[in-house]
Amino acid sequence: MNIFIFGFVNSVILALTASGFALVYGVSRLANFAHGALYILVGFATWLFLNRLGINYIVSILLSIIIVSVIGAGIYRLFLIRVKGMPASEIIASLALGIAIMELFRWRGFISEAYMLPPFVKGSVSIAGVMIDWQRLIIIGVGLAMMCSLWLFTHYTKVGLSLRAIAQDKHASMMSGIEPDRTAVISLAIGSALAGVAAVVILPLGNITVETGYMVLTNAIAVCIIGGLGSWAGVFAGAFLLGFAEILTAAFIGPQWQMVVVLLFIILTLILKPSGLLGKQKELEERV
Amino acid sequence: MKNKSLVSHIGIRLILMLIILTLLCALNPKASAAQPIVLGVPISRGYPDGVDAERGITLAVEEINAKGGINVAGTMRPLKLEISDTRDLEAGVPVAEALLATERLIIEKKANLIVGVPIRAEAALASIDVLSKHKTVSILSAGVLSPAYHKRIADNYDKYKYCFRTTGSVVPMIGATLGTFESIKAKKGFDKAYIMVQDVAHARAAGNLLKEGLEKQGWKVIALEIYPTGTTDFSVGLSKAKEAKAQVLIPWFDMPEVSILMKQWFDMKVPALPIGYIHALQDEGTWKATDGKVASSVVLYAKAGSVATKAIPMSETFVSGHKKKYGIEPRSEWTSTSYTVVYILKDAIERAKSLEPDSIIAALEKTDMMGTYGRVKFDPKSHQIIENGDPKETAVGMWAQWIDGKRVVVFPDKIATKSLELPPWMK
Repeated sequence: MNIFIFGFVNSVILALTASGFALVYGVSRLANFAHGALYILVGFATWLFLNRLGINYIVSILLSIIIVSVIGAGIYRLFLIRVKGMPASEIIASLALGIAIMELFRWRGFISEAYMLPPFVKGSVSIAGVMIDWQRLIIIGVGLAMMCSLWLFTHYTKVGLSLRAIAQDKHASMMSGIEPDRTAVISLAIGSALAGVAAVVILPLGNITVETGYMVLTNAIAVCIIGGLGSWAGVFAGAFLLGFAEILTAAFIGPQWQMVVVLLFIILTLILKPSGLLGKQKELEERV
Repeated sequence: MKNKSLVSHIGIRLILMLIILTLLCALNPKASAAQPIVLGVPISRGYPDGVDAERGITLAVEEINAKGGINVAGTMRPLKLEISDTRDLEAGVPVAEALLATERLIIEKKANLIVGVPIRAEAALASIDVLSKHKTVSILSAGVLSPAYHKRIADNYDKYKYCFRTTGSVVPMIGATLGTFESIKAKKGFDKAYIMVQDVAHARAAGNLLKEGLEKQGWKVIALEIYPTGTTDFSVGLSKAKEAKAQVLIPWFDMPEVSILMKQWFDMKVPALPIGYIHALQDEGTWKATDGKVASSVVLYAKAGSVATKAIPMSETFVSGHKKKYGIEPRSEWTSTSYTVVYILKDAIERAKSLEPDSIIAALEKTDMMGTYGRVKFDPKSHQIIENGDPKETAVGMWAQWIDGKRVVVFPDKIATKSLELPPWMK
């Protein structure tokens, strides 16, 4: 039961951290390597609003998510639009921006272990004899709610439908009057907001460090490679596969092998199914 | 004729005034505009450990300068700090960067002495050659618990005699730790331990040494688990510890994510006392940041001093001085060691009456003074601080327990201010 509960939590955490990255890539074919930086930006911004300015916790969270959405949109409008269509340059530009944001925090002295966000609900509860804190249950709730709302958003709203249209067929959607740069800006804004949502629910489990940004980016890339870039369902498949693999490895082999298992999954995926489990990119043999 | 005698009269007066002024300057060291002693500090400034060490050094330098500086053969000379970022705590440990930063201080900034030194053992071990090449006396005062550091000095004394270390070595640290566990076994009747360590060299070594030592003492070590740096979930290990009825949980981590371990331990109400090297929990702000979930956990400090204790008077003046300057109590053990190191140098320079490396080395080898962590003496062959005994005789580490939002010294007994407490769900 322990393994099931904590494996489920671990999987939802991975899915949440990867969803923003996957959405941006799925819609605009942009690999936003500033994703991890935006994640910790929300963490530090919320901490500052809450502890330095004394703003209410919920308001601090909302403000931080709004700010990061605007920054995400700005990243596309000011930087990525200039290198659009050049994948290597897009990666370099977004990675450089991400590093600049993260190292800015380090430079400004955000390097204490005391940067932590409070949990939404204190205390823990016993589920089938397993003690689990409320914050982890909230993470599961938020993860499931986010999945449902994204599905509803992309299926029943005009903006959501335009995002899907661009993702499915860029040229056909352009002929229908959908402007790709506008959808890219929207996707970056939503993707950044998703990184923000993930940050505010996950960060209360530990503390906010600059290194967290690098780790989140690495996890998001791992989940997307295994699940399949551009596939929404693939993100969840990849997250659950990795999430449970990590917990099972810790339980039966040893926690020091967790990273090795993740790398093994990535290597196996790239060898056996380069497009990922549910990836929509053309597979290698098709491209050849 | 009259004019000539006036000129000579004025000339004689002028010469006399100059002689008097020179004598006054010579007799009153404070009045002289003496050349400062340049103290080079190569340290990883982008990480808490580096910042903590820098704070300790800065505080000590300011205190010494406020009292006129260091008396070098009758001349009071102020200390001038030159700090350079070694970046050695970054992922991958950029050793070359650390060495460049150290060498830059010696060549460009003309550092007379070096304190601090890279925190990661890989970089610090490599810096021994740079420091020795330039014949610059250094005292390592943050990080680097590897026994290899002082072994290297002892094995090649003539070449590496310029390097000293006050942070200690993991071997005596484990010896003292085992002594603490023996005491816990006797006092509380515990005999089941669960060891969780970070996947880094010093923690793995500590884990193995602890397992071996505890088993010799009659403990049953249920598991020795190794966690990759950056691990964010410890539920499986904690569940295993709970199921196996471990009474003591021994974490050995220097990564910030260890706060997740402590929060999970608290939320899962694991009936095992966490006691180990939990570096992130040394910070005074941890209680507030974790909402008190670190309650009852016991944290090892490689050296005492960052929590005031009456048994070591200098720790009290240091902690209050730190709080006055920075608004908080010292965050880690490296603030205490780095504060004391400046006073060690002051003492040695004043006894050596010179800044010549050989004179300072000879004086440092005869150091015998009280620091923030007990009595400071160096082994004359390895230049390693002599540690773990009575604070009146040697340097000591300490164990502080989080009780009611405060860090309270509970071990070693000679400096303890309170007895060990168990978490509410273990009573």
